[in-house]
Amino acid sequence: MFTRRDFLKTGSSMVALGGSVPLFLNRTAAQAPASDRPGGRDTILVVVQLTGGNDGLNTVIPFRDDAYNRARPTLRQPANQIHRINDDIGLHPAMNALHGLHQDNSLCIVQGVGYPNPSQSHFRSMDVWQAGSTARDLPEGWIGKALRNIPGAASFHLANNNESAPLALTGAPVRVPSIRSLEDFQLRVEASSNRDRQSLRSVIESTAAPSSASSGGLLDFVQRTAVNTFASSRRLEQLGRSYQPRVPYPNTPLGNHLRLAAQLIDGGLGARLFYTSLDNFDTHAAQALSHTNLLRTLSDAVSAFYRDMSARGHRDRVLVMTFSEFGRRVHENGSRGTDHGAAAPMFLVGGRVRNGLVGAHPSLTQLDQDNLRHHTDFRQVYAAILDRWLGVPSRQVLGQEFRPVDVFRA
Amino acid sequence: MPDKPEQPQIDPRTAWERYRPTDASPWDVKKVGHLYRRAAFGATMAELEEGLRAGPDRTVDLLLQGKPDRDNLLGVTAEMVLGIPAGAGGGQQATAWWLYRMMYAPHPLREKITLFWHNHFATSNRKVNNAGYMIGQYELMRRHAQGSFRTMLREMSTDPAMMVWLDTNQSQRNQPNENYARELMELFSLGINNYRRPGQRNYTEQDIRQAARAFTGLRLEGGRSGFRANQHDDGEKTVLGQTGRWRPADIVRICLEQESAPYFVAAKLFRFLVSETIPATPELLEPLARRFRESDYNFGEMLETVLRSNLFFSAQVYRSRVKPPVDFALEIVRGLQGRMGTTALVTVLEGLGQRPFYPPSVAGWDAGRAWLNGQTLLFRHNLALGLTSTTDDRFGRRTDPARLARDNNVRSDEEVVDFFLRLFLQNDVPANARNRLLEYARRAHNGPVPVYWSQRDAEEQRVRAICHLVLTLPEFQLS
Repeated sequence: MFTRRDFLKTGSSMVALGGSVPLFLNRTAAQAPASDRPGGRDTILVVVQLTGGNDGLNTVIPFRDDAYNRARPTLRQPANQIHRINDDIGLHPAMNALHGLHQDNSLCIVQGVGYPNPSQSHFRSMDVWQAGSTARDLPEGWIGKALRNIPGAASFHLANNNESAPLALTGAPVRVPSIRSLEDFQLRVEASSNRDRQSLRSVIESTAAPSSASSGGLLDFVQRTAVNTFASSRRLEQLGRSYQPRVPYPNTPLGNHLRLAAQLIDGGLGARLFYTSLDNFDTHAAQALSHTNLLRTLSDAVSAFYRDMSARGHRDRVLVMTFSEFGRRVHENGSRGTDHGAAAPMFLVGGRVRNGLVGAHPSLTQLDQDNLRHHTDFRQVYAAILDRWLGVPSRQVLGQEFRPVDVFRA
Repeated sequence: MPDKPEQPQIDPRTAWERYRPTDASPWDVKKVGHLYRRAAFGATMAELEEGLRAGPDRTVDLLLQGKPDRDNLLGVTAEMVLGIPAGAGGGQQATAWWLYRMMYAPHPLREKITLFWHNHFATSNRKVNNAGYMIGQYELMRRHAQGSFRTMLREMSTDPAMMVWLDTNQSQRNQPNENYARELMELFSLGINNYRRPGQRNYTEQDIRQAARAFTGLRLEGGRSGFRANQHDDGEKTVLGQTGRWRPADIVRICLEQESAPYFVAAKLFRFLVSETIPATPELLEPLARRFRESDYNFGEMLETVLRSNLFFSAQVYRSRVKPPVDFALEIVRGLQGRMGTTALVTVLEGLGQRPFYPPSVAGWDAGRAWLNGQTLLFRHNLALGLTSTTDDRFGRRTDPARLARDNNVRSDEEVVDFFLRLFLQNDVPANARNRLLEYARRAHNGPVPVYWSQRDAEEQRVRAICHLVLTLPEFQLS
């Protein structure tokens, strides 16, 4: 397995560079990948984690299957309201916005995703997905490891209140910050008036300016880092003032997170990896209404983000990936909810994805302990994203070879 | 980007000899500040002045021995441990608890060197998931922080946190887990390459596999390490050329017989205490490493040699490290003589990249330039604001520069500027920086303030703002 140790041995010069290049700045020419290979278009990945175990069966629905209707006597969605992907499979009625992306050739649905001997513990299974590994100990995350290969790429955890950085982001050469708003990146001062504020900031900025030509020493390094940081911080501040979304975003926490991602991307700061989450998918009881709301929240926010990005010319640079730690039980329980399950679908949204379904819907009758069996390992999806989208050798991140799923257009 | 060696000529023969003040290199407040940054978590104004009067020998004595524990802080904090949940969930409190000791314990050097060992034996509660084990390992490292490296290394093999962290607890007789054996050699005692002959490896994969067999049979039983003979591979093992029915202590002994061992540890101490920019060449380390071996790995003696040395107090070494996040936060609180809880600092330090008990990997923190980037620098400035302002809910009014200035009878703008420059930077900043601070003070003096502010509110706000500005100077990011 590729370990931190290997990295330190082989890549310490990259770490040093990553540390000295202020994160906000556009990547330097030396770090920018050639444009003819994956990652070359400064591709962007936004991961949306559906926390709690999303009911995949009521998200991407085999509405013609009698077994579906039998398994979900109270929770089944009426066939005439389902947004059809093909004659057998369709999206939950609340996901009209996401269906619109399908009509625009921008929605890929990978069905039946999971991993061998799936855990039904929220914590263990979430760790498995975030680490990209089923090993017993999972100290590092798949995105953190990927970042070692793209050390200049800025990355952000778009956090909910009091949410600390997820395992997925650990192991990065520079810690991935959790941010809630652009204000997190402002140089704050406590001032008695606006003029005082200006004057404080001007002292901080001017005393940080390097006094002479680069000495290469540590003080020079601090000064240059500071000067670049203040410039970026000012830029972000203006960004906050000048940015107007091209399409309205829903006023939900997820909508706000993705809007913030859009601001950061549009600011041209070299931001490439984003991680955010939507909680409350653990629908053990009376799930109909809450699940509908969650799917609408997801669908509306992702769709707004994608349309906003497209309108700004980033259509072919963005990829949104959704996942949940597991799906839910095929048969609903006695509380009009569903218990922890296994295989589930993943969504990939972007200008370069293969539109439509990838892989068959898992059988609703050939189950494993009442749960859907997976036919695609989630690491095959990660492998596709790493190898073909981010330009990071997936083997180094996943520790072994996984055959990438065909999710991108040629 | 490699650091240019600023003054490459260092004579290894005189580098480690005892520093004596000379006209060219007098004992001054800059050196007191330097010593307290490296060998403690910064100085208070009283400590600076006292150090200046006492001279280098007595100031180093004081740091090596610590002060009397008049407030029984060690006893009180030892009792506080009982209130920390031992299992999962105690992690935040454990970190806060150690930070509290670093900040207020009477023997800051000991806490600092324990932090050095924590970086050396870098164990994370992320995996151990047991605050009791983590604090137990802390106690082990603190016990031997200024003592025998040999004893510490031997005890580390059976430390519960380490056994979980590097899997000796899981190691089976028939399938020995190699994790601990590998890190023992690679990160704890030898390094991959021979220190004096870099092309030569210190050990082979075969050595690791054989050594791993010696560590089988260790088991955690009731929170303590035990030994199960029936799980131990009692056969002959050949490790680094020596054959025998080795057990854990034998492997430690064999490692410490290797040529690289004293150099490896000396180099780590060098980077931690002396410089991140001066290359730790074998020639430069040779006097330290030789003596370290001769003393049977008396680490305390090596530490003392370094702290009293010419090189330690030289111009090349001054400000040749990037200040680590823990030092950054604690120097401010100590300098301002704040009395505050440390829980809020745990989250802040995570954002700054250094949360004790949670190193990023078994290799510890990268340190040096890796500490600073666009985000962490802003977070540092904003932390300095939080600690110097009285309106930040996380820290309250416990660290108030205005109160400190008042207590020290510091009044005019010029006095305020020079007071904080001396406290935190020993006045060693470009004249230009001082002028800008003075200009700011003058402007603020005449500027508008909210109508409901009293004269005193305005004055205190100005003092706090000046203190914040001092803490944002680039020189304050260095140690």
